Formats: sequence, structure tokens, C-alpha cells
Amino acid sequence: MKYEVYSDIEASGDFNIFDFVSIGKNGMIRKRVAFARTEVEDVYNLAFGDVNEEEEINDYVVSDNGDRNKILATIVNIVEAYCKRYPDRWIIFEGSTSERTRLYRMAVGLNFEELSAKFELYGYADDRITPFVKNLKVNAFLIKRKKS
Amino acid sequence: MKKVIKHKSEFSQQEITFTITEKLSKLEGKILAPKKLAEANRLLRKLKTPLPK
Repeated sequence: MKYEVYSDIEASGDFNIFDFVSIGKNGMIRKRVAFARTEVEDVYNLAFGDVNEEEEINDYVVSDNGDRNKILATIVNIVEAYCKRYPDRWIIFEGSTSERTRLYRMAVGLNFEELSAKFELYGYADDRITPFVKNLKVNAFLIKRKKS
Repeated sequence: MKKVIKHKSEFSQQEITFTITEKLSKLEGKILAPKKLAEANRLLRKLKTPLPK
């Protein structure tokens, strides 16, 4: 996965919130990745999107800044660093729309070999968790760093 | 002095610089994407299979 990434990232002290700036044809756009505890122990939700005036994440906006792959690769790097800090945590994530979930599915599928070497990858479909395989149609993903 | 964490990514093979900021640290504990978190909890409640060990 040799994509270009944004390498300067701001983080919170607890390493649950990350900001970086997307630079592209529509200018500079602040992006945020945040992990939040769910009702299930050791499962954390990943949210990603633009930062609004209330400092919340808007994950519906389409910024069309021409740097989609760079952003996706940056998110992977953040997840990698997060899992290094918190190796026992599961991360659940899904797109805010069916199109975005499809995009994530494609991104995971295209980089499946590299990702599956480092992460346990599962898909959520029909209220069940199953090991993710390419082209599996899922509503959400569940991942965790593999124990080395 | 700001705390900086360097991370060498095994995926991108690039060094990532994480700078811990007061601005983001002040947001710790705040739910920044409440709808997304609610949706994740909804999916997890419906789960019919146990989480992988």
C-alpha cells in the first residue's frame, strides 16, 4: 500500500482524536478521525469526516478535494498507530452512506493481502460477524491488530 | 513544549508525525459523532454471533 499520505497529524493526549488537513483543488479542509467507546467492551467506533463549527464530525459532506486515496491511506496509518497503542481494542466502522460503505469495501478488498497480514478483518452482514473476504457485501467492518 | 510521537507506518513506509495538542486534548471524552456511535451500538445490539476471540 504505497499511497501518498498526510504525514503531519494532530492528536489528543489519549490518542482517540486525530486531525489532519486535506489539501486539494478545493483548498484546505480539516479532517478528523475519532474513536469512541461503544456499549460493548473493547469495541470502539471509528468516525471520520470534516470538522464543523461545533468541533463535531460531519461525515456526510462530500468535499471532492481530489485526494481520496491519500485520505484513505492516511486513515489506515492512523488506525495502525491507534492499534499499536491499543492492541486489545476492536474497531468498528461503516460508511455514512451505502456509497461510502461500498468505497471502504473496495479499499479493503484492493489492499486485502497487506491489511489481512496485520489486522484481523471481519465483516458485519445480516446481523452476523464473519471473516472478511473480497467481494463480501457488508454493512460494517470490525478489525483488530493481529498479535505478533 | 509539544509532545511529538513518530510512527513508521508498515503500510505506507512513511514516517508519520503525531503532535499532541491541547486543542484536541480538550475534546477527550466528548462524543464527536453521536449519530455514528448510535448506529454502531445499534448494529452491535443486533449481533447474533459473538465477537471473535
